[in-house]
Amino acid sequence: MVHLTAEEKSAVTALWSKVKVDEVGGEALGRLLVVYPWTQRFFDSFGDLSSPNAIMSNPKVKAHGKKVLNSFSDGLKNLDNLKGTFAKLSELHCDQLHVDPENFKLLGNVLVCVLARHFGKEFTPQVQGAFQKVVTGVANALAHKYH
Amino acid sequence: MLSTQERIQVAQVWDLIAGHEASFGAELLLRLFTVYPSTKSYFKHLGFCPDETQLLTHGQRMLEAVGVAVQHMDNLRAALSPLADLHAQVLRVDPSNFPLLIQCFQVVLASHLQGEFTVEMQAAWDKFLTGVAVVLTEKYR
Repeated sequence: MVHLTAEEKSAVTALWSKVKVDEVGGEALGRLLVVYPWTQRFFDSFGDLSSPNAIMSNPKVKAHGKKVLNSFSDGLKNLDNLKGTFAKLSELHCDQLHVDPENFKLLGNVLVCVLARHFGKEFTPQVQGAFQKVVTGVANALAHKYH
Repeated sequence: MLSTQERIQVAQVWDLIAGHEASFGAELLLRLFTVYPSTKSYFKHLGFCPDETQLLTHGQRMLEAVGVAVQHMDNLRAALSPLADLHAQVLRVDPSNFPLLIQCFQVVLASHLQGEFTVEMQAAWDKFLTGVAVVLTEKYR
């Protein structure tokens, strides 16, 4: 469970309503793959990941980023039940995809940086705090069904 | 460790920070304390709600040290040796805290540079600051 104050909840909702989920997803995933290149290990089928430019403009990266962020968006609507919301995805990431849950934390942190980039001063320390709590909650929910 | 391109990225970003060490450092610390309150345990001399003057003073000190690291990217170990001693013998900041500080550093950069905060800058600074953290904790045991 994520424990957000009423102010944090409304800050998250307000900011998220302005997020272009399609673009931000691709950017976050792209930045993850560039800044932490070992994360590329999960994306052998994505084609050209040979340079930052190649990664950021790769259509499969953009498409997958969009998919990931739409999922994340669902989480935001269910902050009181993240474990339930992400149960199936957690099983998928463990049983089929074999993704180390550490990667969820890395992506969450990159997403926070992308939001900071888009929103500038509006991304205050308090707003950052709220979002860091959310991405941690989502990462924990995605790791919950690992066995 | 850092490629030529990465060194250029580090230096370019530093040019934007230089002269603003205090305000950058203050915002860095404010974010660190707000987002990761447990980090305040290392700053009990600043109290539970450090004021702006305290954040500016300490923030400046920290960013000036980053500036030293930028000037000596080729030899961090020698340049940061006194600070490494300080962290090992006196401060003893648990190594798990450095990634938290680095995350806040990236957020300050991203929120100020916005459109200019390229993925190459983010990658170079993450690698550079991680290298600094390694040197600062190297003498712990």
